[in-house]
Amino acid sequence: MAVAVEMPKLGNTVEECLIAKWLKEEGQRVSAGETVVEIETDKTSFEVTAPADGTVLATFFEQGALVPVFTKLFVIGNPGENVEAFRPQSKGSTPAADAAGSPMPSARNASTGGQPVAAAKASLPHSAAPSSPRARRFAEEHNFHPPVVNGSGPAGRVLEADLRALYHSSPKVSGAASRRVQNGAEAPLEGSGIGGMVLASDLDAPETRISGVREKIARRLRESLASTAQYTLHSSADARGLLLLRARIKASSAGPDINIPDININDLVTFCTVQALLQVPELNVLFLDGRIHQSRGVHIGFACDTPRGLLVPVVRNAQALTVAALAARMKELSAQTVQGKISADDLTGATFTVSNLGVFGIESFTPLLNPPQVAILGINAIQLKAVRKEGKVEFIDSIGLSLTLDHQIIDGAPGARFLKVVREKIENVEQLCTI
Amino acid sequence: MYDLIVVGGGPGGYEAAAHAGKMGKKVALVEKEQLGGTCLNVGCIPAKTFLRSSRLFRECREAAAYGVRVGAPEFDMPAVVERKSRIVAALGKGVQGILKRAGVEVIRGHARLLSRNTIEVAGSRYEAANLLLATGSRPAVPPISGIQSEHTLDSNTVFGLQHVPKTIAIIGGGYIGLEFACFFQEIGTQVSVFEMLPQIAAGADGEISTRMLQILERKGIEFHLSAKVLRIEGHTLHFAAPGGKQSSVEADYILNSTGRVPVVDDLGLENVGIDFTSKGIKTSEQGKTNVSGIWACGDVTGRRMLAHAATREGIVAVNNMFGRKDRVRYNAVPAVVYTHPEVAMVGRTEEELRNAGIKHKKSVVPMAVAGRFLIEHEDGTGLVKVLCGSDFGEILGVHAIGDGCSEFIVAAAIMVETEMCVADASEIVFPHPTVSESLKEAMAGVH
Repeated sequence: MAVAVEMPKLGNTVEECLIAKWLKEEGQRVSAGETVVEIETDKTSFEVTAPADGTVLATFFEQGALVPVFTKLFVIGNPGENVEAFRPQSKGSTPAADAAGSPMPSARNASTGGQPVAAAKASLPHSAAPSSPRARRFAEEHNFHPPVVNGSGPAGRVLEADLRALYHSSPKVSGAASRRVQNGAEAPLEGSGIGGMVLASDLDAPETRISGVREKIARRLRESLASTAQYTLHSSADARGLLLLRARIKASSAGPDINIPDININDLVTFCTVQALLQVPELNVLFLDGRIHQSRGVHIGFACDTPRGLLVPVVRNAQALTVAALAARMKELSAQTVQGKISADDLTGATFTVSNLGVFGIESFTPLLNPPQVAILGINAIQLKAVRKEGKVEFIDSIGLSLTLDHQIIDGAPGARFLKVVREKIENVEQLCTI
Repeated sequence: MYDLIVVGGGPGGYEAAAHAGKMGKKVALVEKEQLGGTCLNVGCIPAKTFLRSSRLFRECREAAAYGVRVGAPEFDMPAVVERKSRIVAALGKGVQGILKRAGVEVIRGHARLLSRNTIEVAGSRYEAANLLLATGSRPAVPPISGIQSEHTLDSNTVFGLQHVPKTIAIIGGGYIGLEFACFFQEIGTQVSVFEMLPQIAAGADGEISTRMLQILERKGIEFHLSAKVLRIEGHTLHFAAPGGKQSSVEADYILNSTGRVPVVDDLGLENVGIDFTSKGIKTSEQGKTNVSGIWACGDVTGRRMLAHAATREGIVAVNNMFGRKDRVRYNAVPAVVYTHPEVAMVGRTEEELRNAGIKHKKSVVPMAVAGRFLIEHEDGTGLVKVLCGSDFGEILGVHAIGDGCSEFIVAAAIMVETEMCVADASEIVFPHPTVSESLKEAMAGVH
């Protein structure tokens, strides 16, 4: 009995997912629980498994297709069973799906699943002009299929002599490199092998399609720049209190009391930012369709560097958390994010974002807004800064802060006032945090 | 002012000097001992001479299996040593001839660098636009108490042995230790090998080293793996077995073959700021050191420590110093272990491919698929293993154990060097009947 498997809904806000990779093809046998296809949302990836033992009878979308949730993806059953009843209607798919991968005709397109080398061979030589039979034979015998040949025969017809001349003047390419060249890689004129032979290592790495996650990041960032009027303010705060507190936490967490949580500089600065937002709620808003939505809760997004790209997990209602609870939640979310196990719902709904590049020694940068949010705070490295104190110059540890704002909503002065509040919170962090 | 002064007259140095000489350059070569280096005087050549005699001795004993009756053979150690000396002397003369014909001036003595283009030998100074350091290596002396006692041999002193020992304990189950283990076992010595690692022939493909261990154990060589040698007292070698249990063996001789260390001391390398450690002088694939005009090749670089690698490195360095672009493609440098049976390999091992995450396919066939192998070796055993890329079938590694493989590994080296794919290589005609056909069969087994 054939069963169809649908695109799952990976979170409340997820409407469609991208087919990242088919691991099984039509006609292949699978066991219950085996992964058939990998899918991606803009935030995370997921494996769709076979619900029962059987044969993959049909796959309805190509790799790269954007498919609405609850749409049937593939059918498992016994060979010979009819799958037409399960085939999704093409009008059900989104415009993107129409462009990238409308439901396929019943057989998988040979050109996508076939051997690229064989496919290339079938249409060779590539030049538009016809080739003489002897030229075609030469090309086959020498496995030599140049993309362009200037034919010297009548009407530009490619003769054997044309191919032969080109063959002997072409760089020698190793077996491994030539197969990659047939797959689209470009060979340099001279390689690093024997007698200048072009080796596989002399070829540029093949072009790769960016992942679904990366594609979404790219679109978001373009939209961010196109739809807002962003500008960045740079400032710094006395970090001596931060460092003292951090040292104290480190010393006591290494001690006998294991209940003291590990809280780092980033956690402390994020906590200060939450407190500042409670004091200046004008920045804890979303700007959507010409309207300002004030948020009651402070939902802090924090930028997370993952193998799949930048992701921003969100701590909801951070205003209700102690610094220890905030630190613990951030640790938990970032671990899930890095491992790719985070739920899509934990990657949306932020009202303000922090991004820390200080660990890389960055001294200032211009964080990009994540609309409809109107502000994002960049945390920079701690550096020594000269300050004048009672007629003397003193060097103090100082942490850099870069605040990007949407000028549509937040003017320079209120933005600067908020940054001043953040600075004060950081400088009084020891009083602010009860650990 | 010379175009090139080469320091060291081993297979790295003398070949490079001759190559530069043939290019018409003004070349000098400094050697403090014998021309030919370790390889010719106390390495490859003497060892293979010994192994030739021990193999013949064994074959005489086994001749009846081939339908040939001989009396009880005797092993005449002084005659074997004398033959070895004769061959070494003849080849040494050959090296002199090569240098002479190439117009290379040979300077005798110990060289020290004074600056990036000046060296001092026996009180005289010589200047050159380029210096090629090819000072080679010496046997490592591990910090084991008693390692330098009178009953301890190393790969230099072992070649002076005048009689067949009853027992020998070999420290080190690497290529050199295993070759000596085979030699002594074949001439009737009771052999035990002590290896620190859990496997022998470190660096070889795992399947090959496992097979080698089985074969050598069957021949009667005793192996102590994961064993730590603690100290040597007279004829007694004390060691700790895995788990720490201490034990000892008695042996007529104890052979130290724990590897070789680059000769980097007392050369004045620090005078010119060359980047080096006790593991060797750092070089590029072109043979360059960090100091412009100073080049290095062979064991002193600590890279492959094989005579033929040294030769290639020296020639590559000379080509580059005189404007001919060249580089050593280390992935295609073959290696041979002259044990009985021989081991030969080129390219990557299965373990290396797995660790590098390179998707690959493999095919393993017994060497006996080649009729010639059966003809040549009554009771012979061996295998050939081919590793290739899973997408295109390019040959990434070939590993073989079984007599005869040292002579056909060069075919595999060409395939690796030119990144030949199995589909292309299958068009090559292998002569019949030869042992090399086992390589063809192994390639045919790649699916």
